[in-house]
Amino acid sequence: MNDDAPLDDGKLQEVARRLGARAADRLDVERTAQAVVTRLRTEPRADIRVLGRIRPAWLRIAAAVVLLVGAGVVALNVRVPLFTTPVPPASGELSELSGDELRAVLEAVGQAGGEQQEVSPQDLSLEDLSAPQLRALLESLEG
Amino acid sequence: MTPAEPVAADPTDAALIAAWHGGDEPAAAQLVRRHARALARFLAGAGALAADVDDLVQETFIRAFRALGRFRGQCQFRTWLMTIGGNVLKDAHRRSRRARVVPLDDDVRATDGDPHERAVAGEAERRLAAGLEQLPRMQREVFLLRAQQGLEYAEIAAALGTTPGAARVHYHHAVKRLKEYVK
Repeated sequence: MNDDAPLDDGKLQEVARRLGARAADRLDVERTAQAVVTRLRTEPRADIRVLGRIRPAWLRIAAAVVLLVGAGVVALNVRVPLFTTPVPPASGELSELSGDELRAVLEAVGQAGGEQQEVSPQDLSLEDLSAPQLRALLESLEG
Repeated sequence: MTPAEPVAADPTDAALIAAWHGGDEPAAAQLVRRHARALARFLAGAGALAADVDDLVQETFIRAFRALGRFRGQCQFRTWLMTIGGNVLKDAHRRSRRARVVPLDDDVRATDGDPHERAVAGEAERRLAAGLEQLPRMQREVFLLRAQQGLEYAEIAAALGTTPGAARVHYHHAVKRLKEYVK
Protein backbone atom coordinates (compact mmCIF):
# COMPACT_ATOMS: atom_id res chain seq x y z
CA MET A 1 0.00 0.00 0.00
CA ASN A 2 2.98 2.32 0.05
CA ASP A 3 3.21 3.04 -3.67
CA ASP A 4 0.33 5.54 -3.46
CA ALA A 5 0.87 7.00 -0.06
CA PRO A 6 1.56 10.68 -0.03
CA LEU A 7 0.13 12.43 3.02
CA ASP A 8 -3.31 13.13 1.61
CA ASP A 9 -3.72 9.61 0.30
CA GLY A 10 -2.76 8.28 3.70
CA LYS A 11 -5.42 10.39 5.36
CA LEU A 12 -7.96 9.25 2.80
CA GLN A 13 -7.07 5.62 3.39
CA GLU A 14 -7.32 6.13 7.13
CA VAL A 15 -10.84 7.49 6.75
CA ALA A 16 -11.71 4.71 4.30
CA ARG A 17 -10.56 2.07 6.78
CA ARG A 18 -12.93 3.51 9.38
CA LEU A 19 -15.79 3.60 6.92
CA GLY A 20 -18.38 0.96 7.73
CA ALA A 21 -16.62 -0.09 10.92
CA ARG A 22 -19.65 0.60 13.07
CA ALA A 23 -21.94 -1.34 10.74
CA ALA A 24 -19.52 -4.26 10.95
CA ASP A 25 -19.36 -4.04 14.74
CA ARG A 26 -23.14 -4.08 15.00
CA LEU A 27 -23.43 -7.19 12.84
CA ASP A 28 -24.40 -10.27 14.82
CA VAL A 29 -22.05 -12.65 13.07
CA GLU A 30 -23.30 -15.82 14.75
CA ARG A 31 -26.92 -15.04 13.95
CA THR A 32 -25.95 -14.23 10.37
CA ALA A 33 -24.07 -17.51 10.01
CA GLN A 34 -27.03 -19.52 11.29
CA ALA A 35 -29.45 -17.61 9.08
CA VAL A 36 -27.31 -18.25 6.00
CA VAL A 37 -27.02 -21.96 6.73
CA THR A 38 -30.76 -22.22 7.34
CA ARG A 39 -31.55 -20.41 4.08
CA LEU A 40 -29.12 -22.58 2.15
CA ARG A 41 -30.85 -25.64 3.57
CA THR A 42 -34.39 -24.50 2.85
CA GLU A 43 -34.47 -22.04 -0.04
CA PRO A 44 -33.16 -24.07 -2.97
CA ARG A 45 -36.42 -26.06 -2.97
CA ALA A 46 -38.38 -22.82 -3.04
CA ASP A 47 -36.28 -21.64 -5.98
CA ILE A 48 -37.04 -24.79 -7.90
CA ARG A 49 -40.77 -24.31 -7.27
CA VAL A 50 -40.59 -20.71 -8.46
CA LEU A 51 -38.56 -21.65 -11.51
CA GLY A 52 -41.06 -24.41 -12.22
CA ARG A 53 -43.80 -21.84 -12.31
CA ILE A 54 -41.91 -19.21 -14.24
CA ARG A 55 -40.18 -21.21 -16.91
CA PRO A 56 -43.26 -22.52 -18.75
CA ALA A 57 -44.70 -19.00 -18.77
CA TRP A 58 -41.53 -17.64 -20.34
CA LEU A 59 -41.51 -20.51 -22.77
CA ARG A 60 -45.10 -19.76 -23.73
CA ILE A 61 -44.26 -16.09 -24.28
CA ALA A 62 -41.21 -16.99 -26.36
CA ALA A 63 -43.29 -19.43 -28.43
CA ALA A 64 -45.96 -16.76 -28.98
CA VAL A 65 -43.30 -14.27 -30.14
CA VAL A 66 -41.86 -16.82 -32.57
CA LEU A 67 -45.34 -17.53 -33.95
CA LEU A 68 -46.10 -13.82 -34.37
CA VAL A 69 -42.82 -13.16 -36.14
CA GLY A 70 -43.34 -16.19 -38.36
CA ALA A 71 -46.87 -15.11 -39.23
CA GLY A 72 -45.60 -11.62 -40.03
CA VAL A 73 -42.93 -12.99 -42.35
CA VAL A 74 -45.47 -15.20 -44.13
CA ALA A 75 -47.93 -12.30 -44.47
CA LEU A 76 -45.24 -10.07 -45.95
CA ASN A 77 -44.26 -12.74 -48.46
CA VAL A 78 -47.90 -13.08 -49.54
CA ARG A 79 -48.49 -9.36 -49.92
CA VAL A 80 -45.23 -8.19 -51.43
CA PRO A 81 -45.70 -9.88 -54.84
CA LEU A 82 -49.01 -8.02 -55.28
CA PHE A 83 -47.28 -4.69 -54.94
CA THR A 84 -44.24 -5.56 -56.94
CA THR A 85 -46.08 -7.10 -59.91
CA PRO A 86 -45.30 -5.08 -63.02
CA VAL A 87 -48.12 -2.84 -64.12
CA PRO A 88 -48.50 -1.63 -67.68
CA PRO A 89 -46.58 1.58 -67.97
CA ALA A 90 -48.42 4.81 -67.97
CA SER A 91 -47.03 8.26 -68.24
CA GLY A 92 -47.93 11.68 -66.86
CA GLU A 93 -49.83 12.67 -63.74
CA LEU A 94 -52.81 10.68 -62.56
CA SER A 95 -54.94 13.75 -62.68
CA GLU A 96 -54.10 14.12 -66.35
CA LEU A 97 -55.41 10.65 -67.25
CA SER A 98 -58.74 10.32 -68.90
CA GLY A 99 -61.39 7.99 -67.57
CA ASP A 100 -60.58 5.40 -70.23
CA GLU A 101 -56.87 5.57 -69.48
CA LEU A 102 -57.49 5.12 -65.79
CA ARG A 103 -59.79 2.19 -66.50
CA ALA A 104 -57.12 0.59 -68.66
CA VAL A 105 -54.49 1.00 -65.95
CA LEU A 106 -56.79 -0.41 -63.31
CA GLU A 107 -57.67 -3.36 -65.48
CA ALA A 108 -53.99 -4.06 -65.78
CA VAL A 109 -53.61 -3.80 -61.99
CA GLY A 110 -56.54 -6.12 -61.53
CA GLN A 111 -55.05 -8.66 -63.90
CA ALA A 112 -51.70 -8.48 -62.20
CA GLY A 113 -53.28 -8.98 -58.75
CA GLY A 114 -55.35 -11.89 -60.02
CA GLU A 115 -58.05 -13.11 -57.68
CA GLN A 116 -56.48 -11.51 -54.66
CA GLN A 117 -57.75 -8.00 -55.33
CA GLU A 118 -60.67 -7.69 -57.69
CA VAL A 119 -61.38 -4.19 -58.97
CA SER A 120 -64.44 -3.34 -60.96
CA PRO A 121 -63.57 -0.86 -63.70
CA GLN A 122 -67.04 0.60 -63.63
CA ASP A 123 -67.61 4.02 -62.10
CA LEU A 124 -63.99 4.31 -61.04
CA SER A 125 -62.16 7.44 -60.05
CA LEU A 126 -59.01 8.09 -58.00
CA GLU A 127 -61.12 8.30 -54.81
CA ASP A 128 -62.32 4.74 -55.40
CA LEU A 129 -58.84 3.25 -55.26
CA SER A 130 -57.61 1.66 -52.10
CA ALA A 131 -54.26 2.64 -50.65
CA PRO A 132 -52.47 -0.47 -51.99
CA GLN A 133 -53.97 0.08 -55.44
CA LEU A 134 -52.86 3.70 -55.44
CA ARG A 135 -49.38 2.69 -54.28
CA ALA A 136 -49.10 0.14 -57.06
CA LEU A 137 -50.31 2.67 -59.54
CA LEU A 138 -47.81 5.29 -58.41
CA GLU A 139 -44.96 2.80 -58.51
CA SER A 140 -45.85 1.90 -62.05
CA LEU A 141 -45.87 5.55 -63.02
CA GLU A 142 -42.46 6.07 -61.50
CA GLY A 143 -41.22 3.36 -63.81
CA MET B 1 -26.09 -34.02 1.02
CA THR B 2 -23.62 -36.62 2.23
CA PRO B 3 -21.47 -36.11 5.30
CA ALA B 4 -18.01 -34.79 4.54
CA GLU B 5 -14.65 -35.30 6.16
CA PRO B 6 -14.25 -33.22 9.33
CA VAL B 7 -12.45 -29.93 8.78
CA ALA B 8 -9.23 -29.03 10.58
CA ALA B 9 -9.27 -26.53 13.47
CA ASP B 10 -8.17 -23.53 11.42
CA PRO B 11 -8.81 -24.61 7.87
CA THR B 12 -8.18 -22.52 4.79
CA ASP B 13 -11.05 -21.05 2.83
CA ALA B 14 -10.40 -23.61 0.11
CA ALA B 15 -10.75 -26.44 2.61
CA LEU B 16 -13.98 -25.00 3.98
CA ILE B 17 -15.35 -24.57 0.47
CA ALA B 18 -14.49 -28.17 -0.35
CA ALA B 19 -16.14 -29.29 2.88
CA TRP B 20 -19.26 -27.29 2.06
CA HIS B 21 -19.37 -28.91 -1.36
CA GLY B 22 -19.29 -32.22 0.47
CA GLY B 23 -22.35 -31.24 2.46
CA ASP B 24 -20.69 -29.89 5.61
CA GLU B 25 -22.99 -27.10 6.82
CA PRO B 26 -20.71 -26.01 9.70
CA ALA B 27 -18.06 -25.26 7.07
CA ALA B 28 -20.44 -22.76 5.47
CA ALA B 29 -21.14 -21.22 8.86
CA GLN B 30 -17.42 -20.90 9.51
CA LEU B 31 -16.89 -19.11 6.20
CA VAL B 32 -19.64 -16.67 7.16
CA ARG B 33 -18.09 -16.05 10.57
CA ARG B 34 -14.70 -15.49 8.99
CA HIS B 35 -15.73 -12.96 6.36
CA ALA B 36 -19.01 -11.38 7.45
CA ARG B 37 -17.56 -8.33 9.20
CA ALA B 38 -15.21 -7.43 6.35
CA LEU B 39 -18.09 -7.81 3.94
CA ALA B 40 -20.29 -5.62 6.14
CA ARG B 41 -17.63 -2.89 6.13
CA PHE B 42 -17.33 -3.09 2.38
CA LEU B 43 -21.11 -2.91 1.88
CA ALA B 44 -21.50 -0.02 4.30
CA GLY B 45 -18.64 1.78 2.60
CA ALA B 46 -20.22 1.19 -0.78
CA GLY B 47 -23.43 2.88 0.30
CA ALA B 48 -25.56 0.30 2.09
CA LEU B 49 -27.94 1.65 4.69
CA ALA B 50 -26.91 0.60 8.18
CA ALA B 51 -30.28 -1.06 8.67
CA ASP B 52 -29.83 -3.11 5.52
CA VAL B 53 -26.30 -4.36 6.08
CA ASP B 54 -27.36 -7.56 7.88
CA ASP B 55 -29.75 -8.57 5.09
CA LEU B 56 -27.25 -7.67 2.39
CA VAL B 57 -24.52 -9.73 4.04
CA GLN B 58 -26.85 -12.71 4.22
CA GLU B 59 -27.95 -12.32 0.62
CA THR B 60 -24.35 -12.03 -0.54
CA PHE B 61 -23.37 -15.26 1.20
CA ILE B 62 -26.41 -17.06 -0.19
CA ARG B 63 -25.55 -16.01 -3.73
CA ALA B 64 -21.90 -16.83 -3.20
CA PHE B 65 -22.56 -20.35 -1.91
CA ARG B 66 -24.90 -21.03 -4.80
CA ALA B 67 -22.31 -19.79 -7.27
CA LEU B 68 -19.32 -21.50 -5.68
CA GLY B 69 -19.11 -23.86 -8.63
CA ARG B 70 -18.01 -20.88 -10.73
CA PHE B 71 -15.33 -19.76 -8.26
CA ARG B 72 -12.02 -20.84 -9.72
CA GLY B 73 -9.74 -19.36 -7.10
CA GLN B 74 -8.70 -16.51 -9.39
CA CYS B 75 -8.69 -14.31 -6.29
CA GLN B 76 -9.24 -14.77 -2.57
CA PHE B 77 -12.68 -15.99 -1.52
CA ARG B 78 -13.17 -12.78 0.47
CA THR B 79 -12.43 -10.58 -2.53
CA TRP B 80 -14.78 -12.61 -4.70
CA LEU B 81 -17.40 -12.30 -1.99
CA MET B 82 -17.12 -8.53 -2.11
CA THR B 83 -17.66 -8.39 -5.85
CA ILE B 84 -20.84 -10.41 -5.31
CA GLY B 85 -21.73 -8.02 -2.51
CA GLY B 86 -21.38 -5.15 -4.98
CA ASN B 87 -23.94 -6.83 -7.25
CA VAL B 88 -26.29 -7.51 -4.35
CA LEU B 89 -26.08 -3.87 -3.29
CA LYS B 90 -26.72 -2.65 -6.82
CA ASP B 91 -29.81 -4.85 -7.06
CA ALA B 92 -31.03 -3.64 -3.68
CA HIS B 93 -30.59 0.00 -4.71
CA ARG B 94 -32.44 -0.65 -7.93
CA ARG B 95 -35.32 -2.18 -6.01
CA SER B 96 -35.60 0.36 -3.26
CA ARG B 97 -34.49 3.59 -5.00
CA ARG B 98 -33.91 4.93 -1.56
CA ALA B 99 -31.36 7.62 -0.87
CA ARG B 100 -28.66 6.65 1.54
CA VAL B 101 -29.24 8.17 4.95
CA VAL B 102 -26.45 8.25 7.49
CA PRO B 103 -27.81 8.91 10.95
CA LEU B 104 -26.36 12.16 12.21
CA ASP B 105 -25.94 10.85 15.73
CA ASP B 106 -23.97 7.81 14.61
CA ASP B 107 -20.71 9.26 15.85
CA VAL B 108 -22.18 10.51 19.10
CA ARG B 109 -22.92 6.91 20.05
CA ALA B 110 -19.22 6.12 20.10
CA THR B 111 -17.94 6.46 23.62
CA ASP B 112 -14.19 6.40 23.20
CA GLY B 113 -11.93 9.39 22.57
CA ASP B 114 -12.47 13.11 22.56
CA PRO B 115 -15.99 14.15 21.46
CA HIS B 116 -14.61 16.89 19.18
CA GLU B 117 -12.18 14.48 17.51
CA ARG B 118 -14.99 11.97 17.10
CA ALA B 119 -17.15 14.59 15.47
CA VAL B 120 -14.35 15.63 13.07
CA ALA B 121 -13.65 12.01 12.18
CA GLY B 122 -17.33 11.37 11.66
CA GLU B 123 -17.58 14.36 9.37
CA ALA B 124 -14.70 13.06 7.25
CA GLU B 125 -16.40 9.67 6.98
CA ARG B 126 -19.67 11.28 5.96
CA ARG B 127 -17.91 13.29 3.29
CA LEU B 128 -16.06 10.26 2.03
CA ALA B 129 -19.29 8.26 1.92
CA ALA B 130 -20.96 11.07 0.01
CA GLY B 131 -18.04 11.22 -2.41
CA LEU B 132 -18.07 7.47 -2.95
CA GLU B 133 -21.71 7.64 -3.96
CA GLN B 134 -20.76 10.02 -6.76
CA LEU B 135 -18.16 7.69 -8.23
CA PRO B 136 -18.74 5.18 -11.00
CA ARG B 137 -19.17 1.71 -9.55
CA MET B 138 -15.79 0.44 -10.77
CA GLN B 139 -13.91 3.36 -9.21
CA ARG B 140 -15.86 3.00 -5.96
CA GLU B 141 -15.18 -0.72 -5.65
CA VAL B 142 -11.53 -0.46 -6.61
CA PHE B 143 -11.08 2.33 -4.06
CA LEU B 144 -12.76 0.35 -1.28
CA LEU B 145 -10.93 -2.87 -2.05
CA ARG B 146 -7.65 -0.97 -2.08
CA ALA B 147 -8.00 1.68 0.62
CA GLN B 148 -10.47 0.01 2.98
CA GLN B 149 -9.61 -3.67 2.53
CA GLY B 150 -5.91 -3.18 1.78
CA LEU B 151 -5.79 -5.41 -1.30
CA GLU B 152 -3.12 -5.35 -4.00
CA TYR B 153 -3.98 -4.22 -7.53
CA ALA B 154 -3.42 -7.71 -8.94
CA GLU B 155 -5.94 -9.17 -6.51
CA ILE B 156 -8.46 -6.41 -7.21
CA ALA B 157 -8.01 -6.82 -10.95
CA ALA B 158 -8.56 -10.57 -10.77
CA ALA B 159 -11.75 -10.11 -8.79
CA LEU B 160 -13.19 -7.37 -10.96
CA GLY B 161 -12.14 -8.86 -14.28
CA THR B 162 -9.75 -6.11 -15.27
CA THR B 163 -5.99 -5.57 -15.40
CA PRO B 164 -3.82 -4.36 -12.53
CA GLY B 165 -2.94 -1.28 -14.58
CA ALA B 166 -6.58 -0.44 -15.16
CA ALA B 167 -7.34 -1.01 -11.48
CA ARG B 168 -4.54 1.40 -10.59
CA VAL B 169 -5.98 4.03 -12.94
CA HIS B 170 -9.45 3.58 -11.43
CA TYR B 171 -7.97 3.98 -7.98
CA HIS B 172 -6.16 7.19 -8.84
CA HIS B 173 -9.23 8.67 -10.50
CA ALA B 174 -11.23 7.79 -7.39
CA VAL B 175 -8.66 9.33 -5.05
CA LYS B 176 -8.49 12.50 -7.10
CA ARG B 177 -12.22 12.98 -6.92
CA LEU B 178 -12.59 11.91 -3.31
CA LYS B 179 -9.96 14.38 -2.11
CA GLU B 180 -12.32 17.13 -3.15
CA TYR B 181 -14.85 15.76 -0.71
CA VAL B 182 -12.55 15.02 2.20
CA LYS B 183 -10.39 18.06 2.71
